[in-house]
Parts: sequence; C-alpha cells; structure tokens
Amino acid sequence: MKNERLGRGSIINYLIALAAIFSLNFVLPRLMPGDPLHAIYGDEALVAMTPEMEAYLIRQFALDKSWSEQLSAYLIGLLHGDLGFSYYYKDQVSTVILGALPWTLLLAVLALALATVMGAVMGIEAGSRRGRLLDSGLTASLMFLGGFPMFFMGILLLLIFGVSLGWAPLSGAVTPYAGLEGVDYFLDFLHHLVLPILALVLVLVGDSFLITRNTVVSILGDAFILTARSIGCSQFAVKYTHTGRNSLLPLITETGMRIPHLLIQTLFIEIVFSYPGIGLLLNTALYSRDYPLLQGILLLLTVIVLTVNLAVDLLYRKLDPRVRYAH
Amino acid sequence: MHINPLRAVASDRLALTGFAILSSIVLMAILAPVLTFFPPDYYTGLIFSPPSYSHLLGTDSMGQDIWSRLLFGARTTLLVAASVAILSTTLSVLVGASSALVGGMYESICMRVVDAMHSIPPIIVMILVAAYLRPNLLIMILLISILSWPTGARVVRSRVLSLKERGHVYASRTFGASWGHILKSHIAPEMGPLLIAMMIQDARRAVFLEAGMGFLGVSDPTIISWGKMIQQALDFTYLDVWKWWLLPTGLALSLTLMGLCFIGFSLEAAMDPRLAPRSVEGAVEKC
Repeated sequence: MKNERLGRGSIINYLIALAAIFSLNFVLPRLMPGDPLHAIYGDEALVAMTPEMEAYLIRQFALDKSWSEQLSAYLIGLLHGDLGFSYYYKDQVSTVILGALPWTLLLAVLALALATVMGAVMGIEAGSRRGRLLDSGLTASLMFLGGFPMFFMGILLLLIFGVSLGWAPLSGAVTPYAGLEGVDYFLDFLHHLVLPILALVLVLVGDSFLITRNTVVSILGDAFILTARSIGCSQFAVKYTHTGRNSLLPLITETGMRIPHLLIQTLFIEIVFSYPGIGLLLNTALYSRDYPLLQGILLLLTVIVLTVNLAVDLLYRKLDPRVRYAH
Repeated sequence: MHINPLRAVASDRLALTGFAILSSIVLMAILAPVLTFFPPDYYTGLIFSPPSYSHLLGTDSMGQDIWSRLLFGARTTLLVAASVAILSTTLSVLVGASSALVGGMYESICMRVVDAMHSIPPIIVMILVAAYLRPNLLIMILLISILSWPTGARVVRSRVLSLKERGHVYASRTFGASWGHILKSHIAPEMGPLLIAMMIQDARRAVFLEAGMGFLGVSDPTIISWGKMIQQALDFTYLDVWKWWLLPTGLALSLTLMGLCFIGFSLEAAMDPRLAPRSVEGAVEKC
C-alpha cells in the first residue's frame, strides 16, 4: 500500500495538503459567527484590547477589505514568518514556538533513537532464536506494551514512579528556582527527562523490534547466511554484520514513516509530564483560547510532518533501488 | 477458492481475548443505568469521597459518582466508535469502489484527494477544527469520519481493481452480466472480511481521537468522555483519588483500544496467511 503513493506526484500531494491546511487556518476563524477579530484573537484577548490596538489589528489583517485582500495579507504575513501575536505570552507566536521547540525535539529524537537501537538489537537476538522462550516472551510483552495509548503509558509511569514511589519529579524539565549549576543542573535535567523518555520508548520499541525480528527471520534462511556460517564466521558476526545490516533497510524506512505519529504522541506525553515543549504550549493555547498561537503550532506541525514524509519518500527511493524500478 | 478469514479469527486466542474485552465494555455501556444508582451528572454532595458501597469508585472533584461516569463514558466511546466505523467505511467503499470501476479522470481526482488527505495526521486537523467548533457528539462523529475515510478508500480501490481482473469476473462478463450483478455476487462477498478489518481500524482511530479531544479539552463540555475524565483527574495526582479515578478510566480506555487492536490484528493475519509476518508489523504500527 505504502509504495503506491511514492509515485512522481508525491511532491504535488504534499503541496496540496499544505495548501489545505493554510486555507483551513484562514477560513475557519472567518467562518465563525460574529466578529472575525473575536474568532482570530479569542474573546479573552478582546477584554484587554484598546481601540487603537483593535484598529491596528483590523488594518493588519485587512479585515476592512475584501476576501482576496485578506488572503494576500495573510499569505504575505506567513511568508515573512509572521504567525501573529500571542496575547497570552505577550510575544510573537514564532518566538514563543521557537522557545519550546528544542524540548520537543529533544524528547522525540532521543526517544526515537533509543527505541530504534534497542528494538533492533532485541529484534536481532529474538529473530535468531525464533520460537524459543526469549523470542516469544519479547514478542508478547512488547506487543502488549505497544498496545497502550502512549499518554496512558506516561500517566502510569508518572503514577508509579512519580506519585507512589517519589523517585522522579512530577513535572517540568528542570527544578524551577533551584539555582543549580554545572553537573548538578545536568543531573536535575536528566532526572526530569527519564520518565517522559521511558514512556515514549516503551511504546515505540515494539515497532522496531517486530520489524527487525521479522526481517531477520526471513533473511536467516538466505544463502549468504549459510555461506557466512560455513566459512566459519562467528555467531556474533553472522547476527550483526550479515543479518543486522541487511535488516536495516525496512527498519529505517518504517522508522521514518512513524515520525509523524511519534511527534503527535510526544505532544501528549509533554502534557502529561508538563514538559515545556510544543505539546504543553498547545495545551495552554487551547485552554486560554490563544488562537494565533494554536494556529502557529498546528501550522508548524503540519510543515514538519509533510517535510518528514517527503524526505522519507525520497530517501526510500534512494536506499532501495528496487522501488525505483518498480514504479 | 474461498478462504473464510472470519472462521479462522473465531478460533484465534488473540481475537477471542479481544472479543471478551470488547463485549464486557459493550455490556457496561448497555447496562449502565442498571449497574449504578446515580445518573452521571448527579451531584452527590460528596467531593473526593473514597470508594464505598454506594460509590464503588468514589466521587470526583465535582461530587459526581465516578463509576457512573465510567459506565456512561463507555456509551460515548462506543457510540463514536461504531458510528465512525460505519460512516467512514461507507465513504471509503463509495469512493474507492467507484473510482476503481469508473476510472479515468474521476479516479485520478479521487486518488489525489485521498493522497493529500492521507499525508496529514488527522489529529492535527481535528484539533484545529475542534478548537473553533467545540464539537458535540454528532459533529465529532462527522469530523472523524471525514478525516478517516481516505486510508480505507485506497485499500478498497486496489482490492476492487484486482478483483475485477479475476477469471471468474471475466467469465461472468462474457455471459453478459451487468456491473451491478458482478458487484453484488462476485466482488461484494470477497470484500466482507476486508471491510470488517477497515471498520475495526476506523473504530480504533475514533476511540483514540474522541479521547484525545476530551483530554485536550476541546470537545463539547457536556459530553461524558473518558479522555476528559483522565484530563480532569490528572490535576489531582497529589491526592489519593487517582487510584479510583485516573487509573480505572485510563485502563478502560486502554482495554478498549487493545481489544480492537487484538481483533484487527488477528483478522489481518488470517486474511493473508502469506503476509503474516508483514501484517504483524502492520497491525502493531496501527495500534
């Protein structure tokens, strides 16, 4: 199924998807009943609004002009990287988002790397012992863990290790106002990082494990493995050099395709652990009805997801020549 | 050669576990008024009461009986899941089958739309729209269905495309059968298990999206939703209430998702035994 959409039109598809999100962002606030300024900025923001500010905003969004002029004002703003003004944070939306983005990237990238490497190693070990206790045990338990919705996995860890045992902090990325420096600061930071990462890894690792395991099982019957064994390669070399390297391709592509899913789950995990990334920002934006911030975040997520998808599509065709010939 | 995957699923342990989990949740939902003394929105006068005989899971911060909210929450979850499964699969079949049969310009336009919609995670669009609309149950069901159908449409289209080239379909056409007849007696029976698999997948996505919207606080506040209960309970982890508020709700949600996942996985494995290892991976990815 997946290969079908890797055709020549994939870039066009992504452009269409992007345009659809842009138009949704533009049209939704203007379709809402009442004053579009209310819908764009939210009711709460208007309580604090002065007439001068209102006049300025109306001019900025070209709300006194026709639809086409409003649209061009909106697009020109976007091209300048102007996502609007967050009244909740009293700052430019782009600045607010860029401040939170590194935390989200830290969680997502670290969790993805850990889960992929751990999954690959366990997958190779289990696949080369197909049908034995280690294999069936790992498969069953990782599939069970993978069945949990990720944010509930986060909540479980929070309740067990944070609330009941008190081993880990309940929220945030560092202890606020602790005045820690150097190594202490870093340890505090790691202490806060453990649970969110663990939650993500526990759910993610099953995917990479199963892909690697299944590829390994199918590769182990191949002739070149038999050759490697017969010329006296060590068990380790056969497992990791011969089988491992050849099972990387499906692992890499499947991992890439799962990045959008991971990103969304990271947002929920951040909300559970009050980790100061994009997810927490999204939560704040939703609760304070800070619509410019909300739109900015969702726009950024869309762009990231589409870029990643496109990159994976292209990478896949590069990595596996068979795909290029097949289409 | 007709293999009936449904029969294989009926004797599969994984699927039976899934059925058991789901049926108990369906029973909870149907028998909700019998299993509890209190309507879900009833103010009991007790706030944060620990579990007792009259309040099996205690009461929450609003003084409402948690056990009744859990039971009635199951109704919301299952209603959304079932409606989305039916609606979204119907849309998939209509678009997928018609583009496979009609072809040409119509097919390429449909598939363009499907591809474009497929490349954005539904939850992003869902959050955006829900933040403005604060959807009630009906709008929620419509929204999730509109965002869910493209994946299925692609599957239906490729299946119909391959089915209509099969020998017995050709034979039937040489006897002068109309497309309507072929659809009814040759294509539809083969599609059954596939459609059930699609419905299960749609249901799973719907359960997750509904809970997610509740968790983010963007659905209609009058809906009794597990996601919203989890989000409310999460504010009170410093009290003991999480043991009978947060934990049971989260478990109920996880069990529902797992039950659907088990059945879907077993069905997909049964439908294509040759692809069993691939479908292990595919099923888990979707979970």
